[in-house]
Amino acid sequence: MTHRSRLAGQIPLLSLIVLCAVTALLTDRFVSPLNLTNILVQSSIMAVIAMGMTFVIVGGGFDLSVGSTAALAGCVAAMVMLEAGITVGVIAGIIAGALVGLANGLVIAFLNVNAFITTLGTMVLVRGIVFLLTGGAPVSGETGLPGEFIAFGSERLFGIHYLVWAPMLLLAMLSFVLQATPYGRRVYATGGGREAAYLSGVPVRRVIASTYVWCGALAGIAGVMLAARLQSGQPTAGEFYELTAIAAVVLGGASLHGGEGTLYKSVIGVFIMIVLGNALNLLNVDSYWQRVAVGAVIIAAAAAERLRSEH
Amino acid sequence: MLKPRFAVLAAGLAVAVSLAIPPAASAQEKTTIGVSLAQDDNPFYIAMLRGIRARAQELGWDVATVSANEDKLKQINGVQDLVARGVKGILISPIDAVGVNAAYDAAAAAKIPIVSVARGSSSPNQTIHVAMDEKRIGRDIAEWTAKKLGGKGKVALLMGPSGAPTFKNLGDGYSEVMAKYPEIHIVFRSDGPLTRERGVKQAEDALVAHPDLAAIYTANDDVALGAMQAVNAANRKGKTLVTGMNGVPPALRAVKEENLAMTVELNPVEWGRLGVDVLAAFLKGEKVDPRVFIKHVIIDGTNVDAKLPKT
Repeated sequence: MTHRSRLAGQIPLLSLIVLCAVTALLTDRFVSPLNLTNILVQSSIMAVIAMGMTFVIVGGGFDLSVGSTAALAGCVAAMVMLEAGITVGVIAGIIAGALVGLANGLVIAFLNVNAFITTLGTMVLVRGIVFLLTGGAPVSGETGLPGEFIAFGSERLFGIHYLVWAPMLLLAMLSFVLQATPYGRRVYATGGGREAAYLSGVPVRRVIASTYVWCGALAGIAGVMLAARLQSGQPTAGEFYELTAIAAVVLGGASLHGGEGTLYKSVIGVFIMIVLGNALNLLNVDSYWQRVAVGAVIIAAAAAERLRSEH
Repeated sequence: MLKPRFAVLAAGLAVAVSLAIPPAASAQEKTTIGVSLAQDDNPFYIAMLRGIRARAQELGWDVATVSANEDKLKQINGVQDLVARGVKGILISPIDAVGVNAAYDAAAAAKIPIVSVARGSSSPNQTIHVAMDEKRIGRDIAEWTAKKLGGKGKVALLMGPSGAPTFKNLGDGYSEVMAKYPEIHIVFRSDGPLTRERGVKQAEDALVAHPDLAAIYTANDDVALGAMQAVNAANRKGKTLVTGMNGVPPALRAVKEENLAMTVELNPVEWGRLGVDVLAAFLKGEKVDPRVFIKHVIIDGTNVDAKLPKT
């Protein structure tokens, strides 16, 4: 790596630091322990979704269905949990997410259907299934979801929220998978150049399909976390999460052309999105202006990505 | 080329942050209250916020707002931000009765009173709920409609977002009364967001399924204005009565033009003012009922002139 590209690779982190520093200068509330904890908890669920999205984007794909998938997983988990206990419910939710990912992956990799269209389709289709399953009403049973599950959405272990432990452990595990295993190298190779990867013996179709399974399963985990946070399975939850996740992954320096991107940088991208929202709220910026600001940042990030890829 | 690239991102962040500077972030001495509404682009909430701001200004208070846009997680995050900001009290219109309970918990943990205005919550940490008598309004709308229809005809119900008890109570009150009329049949019923777009679409569908529809009940004026467009497009003006709810100015004009049969004036500006007054009384240590009711007035062709905004 050249000196220049190494520095360019740190743009996401530098942006986050600048953003935090500017906010801290403008309001002393920002660096309070309460607010910093809030930021971690607020980032946790989106971080898990963004990690799954990173797999797909590094593999050269795209997934619009993660928000619907998270809603499905949350509702399935809540419904199963009320009948069969927390563990079975959580597993059922994650499996539901992985199955959506598998369906996406098979259609995209083996039927060669465009990823944008396929996942646009599943985004709508899965949302329909969620409404059919739940009758459109939130799932919380007669007396609410099990107390231990709700505690998972609000309480702490060693001073850190359970909701924050989840992405930390996942980040460590999945970074290993993506950076240090032959499988991980195949994902990068496939996204970097499908033809070349195929010619060098990478089973590109299986690799592509697998990235969607990761994405679906992680959206499933995020959905379960969301249900714990919202103390119910919410059929309307997760709308527009796909857009935030994609924006975060791009903010983290991944290329939408595939083959580039790192999990921890995507998580930094999530922090940028969440800290921006948090800062604007703390500074009492009008909510209409907030939309303008968030949009401007997304475009700026995409522009930075474009400029970087020209070299 | 590193510098320009970094500059692009930095500029984006700078734009975002500089937007924050104008409001008086330094006025620490003043009492600041936080406001989190379910939506920031619905005329009802816009008017309510106007009332909140007006009354707060009279009391010499500052108002900090955060937006939620019907995203439950975003509402929880926003309230956490308000708590971190150190507001003295919070006015909230929760998206649903269970899903944002974590927001109430966050306020309670910081001993900040949190008053629900309009929609309410099941949270034990809800300090006070300022709202209309929903069932009674539903019954009043139904009685008015049944009288107009001469006690017979097919009726469609365009309810509110699933899970929000306000709209369930309105619909229950309505259905309760209609059940007493053997020749009135509810033939169509759907949940959905409170948007004009959805009103058009679902009213169109209802009219295709039942061309002889005698009345459409809507949970909100925006939905009603959409339904009214569909009714007019189907040449059913005057034959299919559309009833609204809320009494926003465009709906009042539609009642005057006989496009809308009736609406219920809730005067959201007054709600906002009442919410602030209730919070002020509570902060002063006065005894306030946990449930405060707001008056409502039915507006139809007979009394609309007096209610129209003066031009």
